[in-house]
Amino acid sequence: MKSLIRYMVATLFGLLAASPAFADLKVAASLTDLASVAQFVGGKHVTTRSLCRGYEDPHFVPAKPSLMKAIQHADVFISTGLELDGGWLPLVLPGSRNPRIQPGTKGFVDASQGIDVLEKPVGTVSRAEGDIHPLGNPHYYADPKNLEIVADHLAKVFSTLDPTNAADYEANAKAFDERMDRSLEKWEHQMAPHKGAPVVSYHRNFDYFDERFGLKLFGTVEPKPGIPPSPRHISELAESMKKAGVKVVVYQPYYKADAANGLAKRAGGVAVEVATEAGGLPGTDDVFSKFDTLVSTMDSALSGKTETR
Amino acid sequence: MSSPRITAVCAACASWYALAAMFACLVCVPAVAIAQTSSMFSNLANPAIGMNALFTGQAAHNLDEPYGLDFDEAEISLISVVDPYWTLTSNIVFTGGGEVDPEEVWVRNTSIPSLQLKLGKIRGTFGKHGLLHTHAFPFIQAPIIMPNTIGEEGFKDPGLEAAYLTPLPWFAEITGGVYHAKDPSDENPLDFGSTRHDNLPVLAHLKNQFDVTGETTLELGASYLRGRGTDDLIHTASGADVTFRNVPARSSNRHGWILQGEYLERGSRVGGSYVKEAHGGYGSFQYRLSQIWWVGIRGERAYDSFTDFVVDDLGDPIPGKVTRGNANIAWTPSEFSFLRLEYSHAKTDDGVNTTDDRIMIQMSYTIGYHPAHAY
Repeated sequence: MKSLIRYMVATLFGLLAASPAFADLKVAASLTDLASVAQFVGGKHVTTRSLCRGYEDPHFVPAKPSLMKAIQHADVFISTGLELDGGWLPLVLPGSRNPRIQPGTKGFVDASQGIDVLEKPVGTVSRAEGDIHPLGNPHYYADPKNLEIVADHLAKVFSTLDPTNAADYEANAKAFDERMDRSLEKWEHQMAPHKGAPVVSYHRNFDYFDERFGLKLFGTVEPKPGIPPSPRHISELAESMKKAGVKVVVYQPYYKADAANGLAKRAGGVAVEVATEAGGLPGTDDVFSKFDTLVSTMDSALSGKTETR
Repeated sequence: MSSPRITAVCAACASWYALAAMFACLVCVPAVAIAQTSSMFSNLANPAIGMNALFTGQAAHNLDEPYGLDFDEAEISLISVVDPYWTLTSNIVFTGGGEVDPEEVWVRNTSIPSLQLKLGKIRGTFGKHGLLHTHAFPFIQAPIIMPNTIGEEGFKDPGLEAAYLTPLPWFAEITGGVYHAKDPSDENPLDFGSTRHDNLPVLAHLKNQFDVTGETTLELGASYLRGRGTDDLIHTASGADVTFRNVPARSSNRHGWILQGEYLERGSRVGGSYVKEAHGGYGSFQYRLSQIWWVGIRGERAYDSFTDFVVDDLGDPIPGKVTRGNANIAWTPSEFSFLRLEYSHAKTDDGVNTTDDRIMIQMSYTIGYHPAHAY
């Protein structure tokens, strides 16, 4: 019995002594895209992780205590901002008991700062319009150019917190911006034939992509943000899609594929599953591969090369 | 002791101070008036404000009350950062009986690494069900053992709690609390009312949460509460809880389930030995069918416990062994409202009513800011 107790005490001390792998900065983010950008900017000086997985709805991340534990020793927390993570972050951040990353500290980053936000509500804000985002559309990470703004912002934050490696952070951010600009040229070339093409998205989290590549949002599978589609809404939307010749419905891995596919079938079009967050689908591990896949998928669907399910 | 000269000088000073203060006030009045007309008070730092309204109706054949819908309560919550050190949370409840109850008013500090301090009127960190607000109960009825141990809505007394997040590789939190001694009441059945100066009710809570898979978690908790009563005896409450929860990553707002069990007991120390009083527990299973539909079942048993239908020939409540089952279905068209229907069947060996059946309906509406409920 005594030896058992000794083993247990030794194990406990061993666990207590275990500390996370060393890095200059431990960075956590609400979203995979933000973690990906942070990794490019931080390079070898940071370790990154995202609390929301790429295939998980960023609006509805369960505020698990294990997420609080995951950021207990983080040096930086990158929030999507614009209240996208407002449903769960107010529990997770204080629950972490990490004073370095609480809002108002140097370690807390609102990644939406500097973004030209779309769809800021004007006039009265009411939930009669569904679960709207009162500060504007928070899905800005669907536009590659916005990630450059995030990268520049992160370089400044990392440099403040870790001045020794400031030159590396600046250089990495510059390299990220240049690579993104080169990639964007390629993606714009791919999407050029589809300028003005109408698409339907499940939720309004494709608007920034539409705006960047000249697509037109025709409607959404959800009748209002956060409200599940009713048969009547699907029927009416399918009819109007048919009349207008809208052929493509896009949906993320965390939305109901049945609803999107059913709508596309009734409208005589095609539904395509896309990842607007890195890691949402195989082959989308970082923000560059995410846009590579996303642009190819959209190009194929809008060219009529994608088969109906 | 001051000398007469000093006193005289101070009296003279006081007159000058009073005159100067009056003059300053007169000078400042116009400035204040001007400031008031030019929006002196900014509303930019207003607290986040929310309100929940809860309506419940029940048809219970054993109870001497009319069937129909009733106003249950309205809860107004105000939350705001006070300064760089504290955040204040308050929940003020207006009951159907017209009473106003400052259910929770506390400040929280998160500036100490790994430690969270809560100070004020707190919902004590005891058990699992005891942490829930009424509108977040998974079933309309609270488990019978709750009002017989720590209170239908948990243990709520003024005090100080410190919750330490240990460096263990999983989420392991140790909470310790001290509270102001209180007499037993309808809301709080625990007798901690001794006026002895050394009577400081204390709480200890341990919570562990493990990710079993990427989608399923296991939570294990243990709680203990102790204080001295008006009868000068030591009274205690203890509990243990286990929860499995599944939230599929690809459909986190459409599917999932919660399997939960909890045991609670209340007792006291009499003549150096422990006497178990009310005790019991429940097991429940909730399943999310879709974004808007939830169903749930619960089975429970409570011993030496009071409940509304267990009465003697004169209609007076008596303690007994009660077994009850509940089943419900909830329609949640949005995150901010729900309507649910619940049926319960209970039986007991004590009192004049050996069985009890009831149908309940409940509606909840939330406006303004409402923080997410704890996982």
